[in-house]
Amino acid sequence: MNVLDIFSYAFSSIRLRKLRAALTTLGIVIGIAAIVALLSLSEGFRIAITSQFERGFALDVLTVTTGQGFGFGLGGASSGTSDEYLTLNDTRAIYGITGVKLSTAITSKSVGLSSGDLTFTITAMGVNFTEYSQLYSTSFIAESGSMPNSPENDSIILGARIADPWQNGTVFAEVGDYINVSWITGSITRPVVKNYVFHVVGVLKEIGGFSISGPSDTQVYIPISTAQTIFETDRVNQILVQLVNSEQTTIDSVTASVESLFNDKVSVLSPAAVLNIFSSILSTVQLFLTGLAGISLLVAGIGIMNIMIVSVMERTREIGILKSLGMKNKTVLVIFLCEAAVIGLLGAVIGIGFGYGLSSFVARFGLALMGGEGNGILSEQGAGIGFNITPVLTPTVIVGALIFGVATSVLFGLYPAWRASKLKPVEALRYE
Amino acid sequence: MESNVATIVQTVELKKTYMLGKVPVFALRGVNLKVESGDFVAIVGPSGSGKSTLLNMIGALDKPTEGKVLVDGVDVSALNDDKLAELRRRVGFVFQFFNLIPRLTASENVELPLTITGLSKNERRKKTFELLKAVGLGERVDHNPTEMSGGEQQRVAIARALANNPRFLLLDEPTGNIDSKTADMLVGLLRSLNEEKGVTIIMITHDLNIAKHAKRVIRLLDGKVEETNIGAE
Repeated sequence: MNVLDIFSYAFSSIRLRKLRAALTTLGIVIGIAAIVALLSLSEGFRIAITSQFERGFALDVLTVTTGQGFGFGLGGASSGTSDEYLTLNDTRAIYGITGVKLSTAITSKSVGLSSGDLTFTITAMGVNFTEYSQLYSTSFIAESGSMPNSPENDSIILGARIADPWQNGTVFAEVGDYINVSWITGSITRPVVKNYVFHVVGVLKEIGGFSISGPSDTQVYIPISTAQTIFETDRVNQILVQLVNSEQTTIDSVTASVESLFNDKVSVLSPAAVLNIFSSILSTVQLFLTGLAGISLLVAGIGIMNIMIVSVMERTREIGILKSLGMKNKTVLVIFLCEAAVIGLLGAVIGIGFGYGLSSFVARFGLALMGGEGNGILSEQGAGIGFNITPVLTPTVIVGALIFGVATSVLFGLYPAWRASKLKPVEALRYE
Repeated sequence: MESNVATIVQTVELKKTYMLGKVPVFALRGVNLKVESGDFVAIVGPSGSGKSTLLNMIGALDKPTEGKVLVDGVDVSALNDDKLAELRRRVGFVFQFFNLIPRLTASENVELPLTITGLSKNERRKKTFELLKAVGLGERVDHNPTEMSGGEQQRVAIARALANNPRFLLLDEPTGNIDSKTADMLVGLLRSLNEEKGVTIIMITHDLNIAKHAKRVIRLLDGKVEETNIGAE
């Protein structure tokens, strides 16, 4: 019996029980769709991050924070509880190290930003405008207004998504406006709300992607002197160190010098290290989520096995007839495996389409709800997740999903098919 | 008997014992039988006499407990599953309950053994049409078995059994489930196949009116051949 005939025979029996085949297929569809959606989303996520780094991101900038923690982003939280802290004077000390071109400090705080009826909770960054724009010359650029070298105390520069949160021209604030910044001081039991009115002097050009470190579309920037005055602190959350070049030897030697300067009580991160850490976290999450989705495939496989065992029982007599007509055991086996493979293939194809649709939908609407509108997840660490992801369906994922779908079906179809092939003709024919 | 006639089927002290729960059932207790090319043998006997068991064994659907079944001189019980399958392609089986595959049309049912043997599609189509025409069903090729009468279904089954030009036809109560008029027609068909085309036939029946059309009648009783050549014309 040739392959085409086997296939068409298998297909004719699937066609006979459409609803059952459809429901069995649905299991595979869901499993594959879940895996494809997760993989294409996280792949899009990975590409968004990598491109952020590659897009002129300052590879020659090190971030110094206190504490041993992973000073993610702008590292405010990790240094909050430490007794040791960095001050503006430390900036000068670091500047003295060989290989350092520039050293600048940041004092950041989570604040409420009000204009009209709207209030956003965002991170205010106290920076030295001149030094900061030198560090991030490709991203810390004013789209409108200016970047004053000697700013007034009440100067504020807004990230693009703060000025225009919905990206539709309905502006929150623009150059020349006055906006109120409020923050909480005092103890948890007796909080005190303080206010300060700033004058918008500039709005940044849209940076895009999302920010791990460096300027972000969802932050505001004020002079560091003002920040230290109004927040009543002399501590800085982090010191950014620009190197003379981005070679690994320079990075290593400056890192070592900075660490010894502060008796190993600070952590020094390079963007490459951040990217590596981020990548490995993402990989772990990806693996975990794929594993979870894989469970649904397992369930689908058991469903296939179940249905096929029933199908073999129902068709015992048919199998007996086929054998009485001279069909070999292995042909019977192949017919049933073929049925499983068709279900798997069908499920995988639909699942891939469905999964990609799902990931596009989530990327378009799900993430927009989370952070896209500017008032979502804007954490204290400053990693504003106001980003757009385009899900990416790689050929590897497509081929992998197809293989996985078919393999699952065939694997779980193996036992029922084997049972069918081992039926004794005379007993099968007698089966009612 | 002419000396140049070949023996197609021979059984030697054929025994078959089933276990029914823990009770052994002696279905066949030493059957010796010889069927020659061009023969038309009817096997009669009461139910439980072992007729079907004998037929299944000759058709390589079942294996003997003891003794031998020789088809064209080859001992069937010595063959592996694949060889048995190949042997079955040279045997035409017709069952009491037709055993057509319900989801396939008449022509697809007849085509099936040809597909299994691996004939090309064109050859299959051509042969199927000829076979259905030969059993008088040239007009009903695209009907499903469920849309056909018992007699028609049995004729499809005979066409299917003849598809691979079998060495012999085995029929297990072919008229058991159809009315007597259709049964007569069917026996007529079998006789013409036997007389005109030289097809060797071994048929089980409990109906002596049917059996009398055979060249030879064998009576089985309690798993043994009781007498041969009774009631033959």
